Amino acid sequence: MLTIHDLSKTYANGVHALKNVSLEIPNGMFGLLGPNGAGKSTLMRTIATLQDADSGSIHLNDLDVLADKPAARRVLGYLPQEFGVYPKVSAEAMLDHFAVLKGVTARGERKAVVEALLRQTNLWDVRKRKLGTFSGGMRQRFGIAQALIGNPQLMIVDEPTAGLDPEERNRFLNLLAEIGEKVVVILSTHIVEDVTDLCPRMAIISQGQVLLSGHPSEAMRALDGRVWRKSVPNAAIEDFKNRYTVLSTRLAGGKTLVHVLADARPEDGFEAVAPDLEDVYFGQLRHHAAPARAA
Amino acid sequence: MFKEIFRFELRQQLKSPLFWMIALAFGALAFAAAGSDTITIGGGIGNVHRNAPYVVVQMLTLFTLLGMFLITVFVAGAALRDFDAGTAELFFATPMSRSAYLGGRFAAGYLAAVGVLIVVALGLMTGVLMPWVDPARLGPTSLVAYIYAFAVFVLPGLFFLSAFLFLLATLTRSMLGTYIGVIAFFVLWQIALVTAGNLEHRTLGALIDPFGLGAFDLATRYWSASDRNTRLPELTGILLANRAIWIAVGAAMLAATLALCRPDREGLRLWRRKRPALATAAEPPRQQTLVLPVATLQTHAAARWTQFLKLAWFDTRGVLGGVAFLVMLAFGLMNLGGNLAFSNMVYGTSVYPVTHLMNTAMDQSYTFLLVIIIAFYAGELVWRERSSRISEVTDAFPLPDWIPLLSKLVAIASVIALFLLAGCVECTIYQLWRGYHHLEPTLYLSNIALAGLSFLLLGALALFLQVIANNKFLGYLLIVIYFVSRIALGQLHFDHHLYNYGSAPGTPYSDMNGYGHFLAAHLWFSAYWACFAIALLVVAALYWARGTAQGWKERGRIARARLRVPARALLAASLLGFIALGGWIYYNTNVINRYIPGDLAKQQKADYEKQYRQYKDLPQPKITDVKADVDIYPHQHRVDVRGHYVIANKTGKPISDLHMRLPTEMKLVSVQFAPHDVVSDDRVQGYTIYHLAQPMAPGATMNFDFTLQFWSRGFRNSPSDTHVVDNGTFFDSFSFPHFGYSEEGQLDDRNDRRKYDLPQLPRMPKIDDVAARQFNLLGRDADWVNFETTVSTVPDQIALAPGYLEKEWTADTPDHGRRRYFHYKMDKPILDFFSFQSARYTIKRDAWNGIAIEVYYDPQHAYNVDRMIYAAKKSLAHYSAAYSPFQFRQMRILEFPDYASFAQSFANTVPFSESIGFIADLRDPDDIDYVYYVTAHEIAHQWWAHQVIGAFLQGVTMLDETFAQYSALMVMEHEYGPQKMRKFLKYELDRYLSGRGGEVVEEEPLALNENQAYIHYRKGSVVMYALKDYLGEDVVDKTLARYDREKAFQQPPYTTTTEFLDDLRQEAGPQWSPLIDDLFTKITLFDNRVTTATAIKRADGKYDVTLKLHAAKVYVDGVGKETPAKLDEPIDIGVFARAADGKEDHEKVLYLAKRTLADGDSSITVTVDSLPYEAGIDPYNKLIDRVSDDNRARVSVQ
Repeated sequence: MLTIHDLSKTYANGVHALKNVSLEIPNGMFGLLGPNGAGKSTLMRTIATLQDADSGSIHLNDLDVLADKPAARRVLGYLPQEFGVYPKVSAEAMLDHFAVLKGVTARGERKAVVEALLRQTNLWDVRKRKLGTFSGGMRQRFGIAQALIGNPQLMIVDEPTAGLDPEERNRFLNLLAEIGEKVVVILSTHIVEDVTDLCPRMAIISQGQVLLSGHPSEAMRALDGRVWRKSVPNAAIEDFKNRYTVLSTRLAGGKTLVHVLADARPEDGFEAVAPDLEDVYFGQLRHHAAPARAA
Repeated sequence: MFKEIFRFELRQQLKSPLFWMIALAFGALAFAAAGSDTITIGGGIGNVHRNAPYVVVQMLTLFTLLGMFLITVFVAGAALRDFDAGTAELFFATPMSRSAYLGGRFAAGYLAAVGVLIVVALGLMTGVLMPWVDPARLGPTSLVAYIYAFAVFVLPGLFFLSAFLFLLATLTRSMLGTYIGVIAFFVLWQIALVTAGNLEHRTLGALIDPFGLGAFDLATRYWSASDRNTRLPELTGILLANRAIWIAVGAAMLAATLALCRPDREGLRLWRRKRPALATAAEPPRQQTLVLPVATLQTHAAARWTQFLKLAWFDTRGVLGGVAFLVMLAFGLMNLGGNLAFSNMVYGTSVYPVTHLMNTAMDQSYTFLLVIIIAFYAGELVWRERSSRISEVTDAFPLPDWIPLLSKLVAIASVIALFLLAGCVECTIYQLWRGYHHLEPTLYLSNIALAGLSFLLLGALALFLQVIANNKFLGYLLIVIYFVSRIALGQLHFDHHLYNYGSAPGTPYSDMNGYGHFLAAHLWFSAYWACFAIALLVVAALYWARGTAQGWKERGRIARARLRVPARALLAASLLGFIALGGWIYYNTNVINRYIPGDLAKQQKADYEKQYRQYKDLPQPKITDVKADVDIYPHQHRVDVRGHYVIANKTGKPISDLHMRLPTEMKLVSVQFAPHDVVSDDRVQGYTIYHLAQPMAPGATMNFDFTLQFWSRGFRNSPSDTHVVDNGTFFDSFSFPHFGYSEEGQLDDRNDRRKYDLPQLPRMPKIDDVAARQFNLLGRDADWVNFETTVSTVPDQIALAPGYLEKEWTADTPDHGRRRYFHYKMDKPILDFFSFQSARYTIKRDAWNGIAIEVYYDPQHAYNVDRMIYAAKKSLAHYSAAYSPFQFRQMRILEFPDYASFAQSFANTVPFSESIGFIADLRDPDDIDYVYYVTAHEIAHQWWAHQVIGAFLQGVTMLDETFAQYSALMVMEHEYGPQKMRKFLKYELDRYLSGRGGEVVEEEPLALNENQAYIHYRKGSVVMYALKDYLGEDVVDKTLARYDREKAFQQPPYTTTTEFLDDLRQEAGPQWSPLIDDLFTKITLFDNRVTTATAIKRADGKYDVTLKLHAAKVYVDGVGKETPAKLDEPIDIGVFARAADGKEDHEKVLYLAKRTLADGDSSITVTVDSLPYEAGIDPYNKLIDRVSDDNRARVSVQ
């Protein structure tokens, strides 16, 4: 269980990146959903000991993550949003190197770990290839391989599926799902499907604040009967946006499909739809943005 | 399009804080350099104004060059901006032309670089206007000089540099690649300078210097101070060629950039490698269950050690495997190669490549380069993970902060070690190639350790600064500031190694004495700074960047949190060690020994003059007898002296006060003479005034007994105590008491004198000063003395002093065990000038006409001993025949260590440095045999000094040094022939002419020279050789023999050059008087050159050679002002056939005769028997001509 309590962070430039964030994250996959710039990465990096918060605490079971960083790092697996590799080093050599740095110093043990990880991440056949020649998906799998070294208790995976093609993304999420059976895995993303498909628990974060946290299904259930859909001409969208709480717009067959949040059918032509997580997500964002607009 | 890109780029440049930072830093540096002596970058010395046109041009050119590394940022930045920012594809997708894009970027980058130099120029201009600048050292501000400097040097120099950088940046698309290119270029340029330093390659060296500094030096090489204050070099000849070449090269590179730049993602690949098609085959399905073996993350010490080793190896391999390193190493080795080939030459003759010289060459060629490389890699390594963004991953690893930090240090250490090791290998190969087989691997290793340690200390500092700065460029800037501040501290005389990070006294090495006792002192300092470096590294580990830490407050908080027990203990221990060692060093350098910083030393000299110069003409007795027991304790670096003088009042007045001088290093244990009081005893100046109870009557004599001790205990801030060492002790009579004020200890730099409120340097007494003729060159307190001494030393050494060995014995002493004694006695009076030496010597004995010849040398240096003996024989034979018989029965040459490099002539004794003759490599018969020459010179002093000594007034050094030069020249000419002399005299002429430019007071004619080395040695050789050429050797020898006969062993009044010139005029005849005046009593320069030389073959097979000539003569005053003079001496005209082997040394003379020529242009035709090759006026450079190369020309045969 990872307990985040009242975490705040303000950058030197005045950006309030985290505002009293508190979360309880049990074992299993936990989705952290939010738009770009919401503070997801700040939160992830803080949990990963790479950044200090101004106030608040993070505990992994009994371990005070912020106070005892070395201990926290021993149970941590971190796949950053963006990371580099030495382009001229082979995947196997690089992973071996990482294993040493993490503390797997016994040669035999390390060899076994590296081999197992390369096989699990399907990189075994390309293990001799230089990292510079890897595709985006291969690199992400290599990233997860390094994060898995040393059986971490806490996995932090920051925006891992950005830029992956659908097949790669599936493969990658499957891998994560399996890992999530045993340890805390925090997956930050701005792609709603990632969470829908994978995470038994989630939180939505925006402008440094937690808007919602809980089970995705419960969140969806809360919107039952309040999400309406209509196909409208492109020109009419602005009008709709002014009149209703528009959750999302999507082009379909030359027209625009609009999801609107309303307690009753807004007007003719709207049909009720079963809410999905995306509706929840946009609902939360609109809901919190609305008062600001009013003010 | 071009305009828009140019404007955009220029705006980017000017908006960048880096531009302003660099411009301001440079401007400030220029301001400081122009306005003070604290920072010296070129500049005016002596009589040259601080703002002289020469200085302005030199400084601006040097700054252009200095800017090389920083200007890279602008120019390469302009080329790389779009690739770095990822905007390249946006730009290349627009329909702009490639030339507009590149041209705009280039022009803006170039202009930014020019902007920096404009700021520099402003700094220079304002610097000299500051109120603290001595107005006496300023001339009128010359705007023309600034314009000239920009037009001729700065703008073309920057153009070349910018084009070069732009090309590099465009090709490599990497700042790193560009930097490597810059370093490579820099090293090449250094080689050009070294090459230019060698006389025979000067023109080439000047041409290949892209900044034109070499050409500028060549054009101004012989300029007098007044030239430098008023003139600018004409844009012709080599200078014009140099500028044109490099502007053309710059333009060509710009064109190449245009042609080669490929605006696509691939960039330019110089070689296309075929990449195997990447396997993208469908991947097999992954094992469905995630099973991972359990791996334990170790944190125990052994695991940490493994991690450290692995990471250190990883970082090291990353550095050493890079092309960057290989390129830099290659250039380092190339630089070293150049240094090996050209250094240690004396008159173009090289020395045996003994290992310690190899080490010196390595230190010299690496110092600058390796410092840059270390600073560079410190930045690269500290930022390695972050710039590749791998730190995103690794920062979250459970890895202690010290492991990556120390790994970086190891990587830097590997760079240093590899450089040094590769250097040793190169040096060894060089030694073997030169046929030198006495290899000393341990000496190489100890140098690697010593040099490596000091570089490593620098590496630790560079890492520390990079970590603390937490910004790569700021880190680099801090290191530059550190270097500049170190130079500035030195200039301000803050030169104690206790506060100059990483510095240590150094370890002068001599084959005779090894590192001697200097090693221990050096190591104490090294240990002291090593402790400090460890503390720096601990702090660096505390501040090691991990994740995103922002601001000092947060970083400080993290650092404090990291300061746990081990770090705290290590920090405390290292600081404790630092303080303890510092205390120990302070005790040694400042308590046991005296530490006198440079400014204090100057202050003391000034005080000495202010306090005691009033006694300059006070009558004092003269020493007539010297007897001394001298006990040398080489391993204690100690000497005990029990001396006895007889002093006599040779003045006409009673002497009531005795003024005794003794170097402060010598402790006066006791002194005994007639009843007296001590009036004052100044231990700072070593000046004691005694008042005699009973004044010494004229003609009276008195015994003067003294006990002295020299004991160098502990160690000093600099390795200056080189006189009494374990093997190779050498000190002289200046360590003994002397009487009366001496001008030796005065401040002589005229700027220093002004600073310390002293009047202009008192000049030498004028040639007609009668009172001065009471005293000879060597001092006022003796004429000729009887000399006797007993010297003792340790049993395995031989101790020597002037005189003949009367007795040698060994005896046991109660305090110092077994000792060896030597009793020397001179059977006739000698000058009051004697030396003591002690070392483990091998002796080679020989004899000439019953005169014993002995060489005492170190067994490692037997190379030229036979040569010295041969030279001694030839010299004794020639001088005895030409001048007068040799006054002694024995002649000895004694080697002494490399701490000084000279040979010196005492009565029947010549101490000879190991570095200037004992290791000369004379195997090539074409080289100048300077061992032969130096030996002949020193032996000539047995006549010209030890027989004839002049009065201490103008011209006096002509009577010993110039005559010794001439005597040696004749011995050399008889041995090697006149062809060899030309080569030798060319060096002498060159050194005279360049010496003139460095004159700080006033140039005097030879016969009036005021102990000016470039005149009495260099000009002396040329003048005497010309004299001989005009008058004939027999006339000159006859004059010298007559002069010797008249003046040898003379009592005061002593002789002067006037007396010699009178003899000469008589012997030569009145027709030579104008020539003698030109040579001896005037400063005369010739401008002789051949315009064309043509030959026509005659019907009888002979050739008519017609020379179009220019001949002119000027007289010059003391500050370089010239007045045309009438040409009244005939000048050599020569025609030469080419030697079979093409070597000038072996050419055949077809015609050589002195011809009277008209002033200015004239034409002359001579007839020769066979095909002419070269013809010339004064072809052997016997006359002083500032451009000696145009005296000959190839003959074109029609």
